[in-house]
Amino acid sequence: MSELARWAVLGAGNWGTTVANLIGSNGLEVALWTRSPEQRDEINRSHTNEKAVKGLVIAKRVVATVSLQEAIDEAEVVLIAIPSQAFREVCRAAGELLRPEHLVLHVTKGLENETQKRMSEILLEETCVRQLGVVSGPNIAAEVAAGKPAGTVVASRFPRVVEHGRRALSSPRMMVFTGTDVPGIELCGALKNVVAIAAGIADELAVGDNAKAFLVTRGLAELMRLAYAMGAEPLTLTGLAGIGDLMVTCASPLSRNHRVGVALAKGATLKEAVASLGMVAEGVHASRSARVLAGVHGIELPLFESVDRVLHEGLSPQKAIEHLMGLPSGRDVPHFIAGARSGASVRSPRPSLH
Amino acid sequence: MGTTLRAAKEQAHGRAHVVAGEEIAHEVERRVVDHALARAETPAGPRLEEMLQETISTELTRLARADGDLREAADREFIAGLRRRLVHGTPEEWRTLILQVVERYVEEISGHFEPRVYAGVARLLPAALTGLMQGFIPKLGHPGRVFDVDERVLIGGELTALRSLFELGTVVLAPTHVSNLDSVLLGHAVHRLGLPPVAYGAGLNLFTSRLIGYVMRNVGAFTIDRKKHDPLYRETVKAYATLLLERGQHSLVFPGGTRSRSGAIEEHLKLGLLGTAPIAYRHALEAQKRRPRIFVVPCTLTYPLVLEAATLAGDYLRTEGGPHFVDVHDEFEQLGRWVAFLKSLLELDLSVHVQFGRALDPFGNAVDENGRSLDPRGRAVDPSRYLLVRGRLMADDARDAEYTRTLATRLVETYRQDTVALPTSLLAYTLFERVRRDSREPDLFRLLRGLGADVGVKEAEIHAELSRALVELHALEKKGRILLSPKLRTDDVTQVVRQALATFGTYHASPVIERRGEWLRVGDPSLLYYYRNRLDGYGLLGAPARPLAPGSRP
Repeated sequence: MSELARWAVLGAGNWGTTVANLIGSNGLEVALWTRSPEQRDEINRSHTNEKAVKGLVIAKRVVATVSLQEAIDEAEVVLIAIPSQAFREVCRAAGELLRPEHLVLHVTKGLENETQKRMSEILLEETCVRQLGVVSGPNIAAEVAAGKPAGTVVASRFPRVVEHGRRALSSPRMMVFTGTDVPGIELCGALKNVVAIAAGIADELAVGDNAKAFLVTRGLAELMRLAYAMGAEPLTLTGLAGIGDLMVTCASPLSRNHRVGVALAKGATLKEAVASLGMVAEGVHASRSARVLAGVHGIELPLFESVDRVLHEGLSPQKAIEHLMGLPSGRDVPHFIAGARSGASVRSPRPSLH
Repeated sequence: MGTTLRAAKEQAHGRAHVVAGEEIAHEVERRVVDHALARAETPAGPRLEEMLQETISTELTRLARADGDLREAADREFIAGLRRRLVHGTPEEWRTLILQVVERYVEEISGHFEPRVYAGVARLLPAALTGLMQGFIPKLGHPGRVFDVDERVLIGGELTALRSLFELGTVVLAPTHVSNLDSVLLGHAVHRLGLPPVAYGAGLNLFTSRLIGYVMRNVGAFTIDRKKHDPLYRETVKAYATLLLERGQHSLVFPGGTRSRSGAIEEHLKLGLLGTAPIAYRHALEAQKRRPRIFVVPCTLTYPLVLEAATLAGDYLRTEGGPHFVDVHDEFEQLGRWVAFLKSLLELDLSVHVQFGRALDPFGNAVDENGRSLDPRGRAVDPSRYLLVRGRLMADDARDAEYTRTLATRLVETYRQDTVALPTSLLAYTLFERVRRDSREPDLFRLLRGLGADVGVKEAEIHAELSRALVELHALEKKGRILLSPKLRTDDVTQVVRQALATFGTYHASPVIERRGEWLRVGDPSLLYYYRNRLDGYGLLGAPARPLAPGSRP
């Protein structure tokens, strides 16, 4: 890579703007696509995007545009930062412009509601690109934007995608780790948001730190069971994009999903809770998908189910916690984690016929 | 090469899409050796002497298990010599040794295969094959009936596109692998469609089989020895297959690697030989060939009875289910089994289905009949761009391996869609599912071991369930998720069951399913399971939509 790569970032929201700034600060040209001409003008004139990231001064190499074509045509790497429920629509439009040689990364932590599909699956269904990957980790946008230190993971089965991502995002304040398990990282990123809502509820109801740790860890076990059934490598869940992300999102009062949990426990309706955020809380959608997927894969996910019922079926947060604490106990660590060694084959369960 | 053959070849093909064997062999040697030397130069790469040690150790392991025919005696001698010379050698000599190892491999791989001769002979062979099959007819005891291969083999699918793609580029036929008959069958289908012959890599064991060795040597097979684990050997096979492709030789590759042991459609494909497609395509682009495109055409082969079913099912159960299951001899080696098999096809008016699916490019995109690659939304894609880095063609093994993985996923999807449901597989499925539900045994292998002659279901009940399954199958066919055989489309349940029972009652040593009064009884549990598995994973009769057959073994 003698010559620096040109990037396009699709989506100038909170995280998209922050990531574009990270890349631009590393001296790379970034075209930042937004639908809003006002936002474009603000970014290009005053190098700010106040509505998305308060107080951030955006690197000069980041140039905003409302033309997808302008953004994508010249880019070697395209990074998509679009909420999960709008992801397909943007991919479909971008599919007219993306070419087979494009490298594509995304930073979206969610699943599509109707199909329960991962973002990389949507990319494959809507575009001709193959060389894709995902960026995920414990990254609260506001902290990264403020220049606080953090770590993240770039994962792809294509080494060039990983290499481009690593170079563009690394800085003295951002350590970039690498991986190959795209499905695993996508599933962690999507599903942990549901656990974060439970954590928010637990915090607000002041059930105690023991109970919170218990709920979060059971949530992690459920997350692992589902992700594993869907093809994730078990040990991915122990990495930055797994436990790392779960920790920050369950602990930080800045986490959007945690805030939704807190608001619900305070007695707000879902509508009010979401409205008070002003941003998308992916966990609100992911709980729905998780329940469908649990059915498809024949797995019981009591915590995910309870959160979903609180969110969408009017179950009171107190009742949900009581219900979860009252469930019969069983095996702590799932068998595939207990038996997992790096590189060892853990995918040969005896067939169960019923 | 005889002048007659040359003339035959030139007559058969206007353009030279078949290449000289000797030149290919040299080029393969050059590539593999160059690559080995280049790797030895890199800091992390294996040293030359390490590669040679690997050759010695993997070959010794293989030979220790071999029975010791002439070929193996020669191999032993060669490896012993290699060992001596490695110990006392200089780096210069190691280079020579690598070359000798590779030369030896190339010789074995291409030993029986001279592409130019092949082009001529392949034209004549199908007729010879028909003769071979008809040769059995006197033994079949049907003086009035002639074994007509055309009648027994039903060819369907995207035939117009297939013909056009053979003209527009190089075709890789990628069929499901059921039986050793597959390659013969496909050779026949290709011939009947008037298409140029295809070359393929056949297991070394086929060449040593007396009965089929002759045919194999002449149907354009080069040799693959699956027992050789030497990385240099694998690379040589791959380089050989790649070169054939990039020179425009249409090829046949079984992506499953070996015959399906469980009877199920392949879920996991071997990426090695499929992986030659993007490499050959890049080479052809670099050489600015006129027709560099490579089209991978999925095919499914569906047999009402499988010649080697007992061996395959036994092998599968032994591997997956443990030592409770015993060994069976391979029917493929037994003339008597062939006669019985062909006799059953003839007497029961059975047909084998060869279905050609929609072509894919090496990157997994669908290809239309004009050879254009299409993205999932039907937009035309220039496939050469998958190989570009900043406008230039670039080699990248990791990238190409991922492309191949996508291609494999799409192939498997097509296999499922193009599988033909038959009376035999449907009856086996229905009965197995019923017995499985009744038994409540969660362990598959314990269930199979427990299925004796005392296990059966009232035929009337099976009729009811089978007609339910048939309704579900029709719905699936409408959605394009499976195909139904002509008999399943038209016949009623009674006819379907009668046909299946007759089929199951003839060829196999004991009937797979037999009728005893009002009851249908399990005759051979492992075969019941084997035939049932063709319809696994479609979610019929409330079974999970994910495949049941365990083990990723193809």
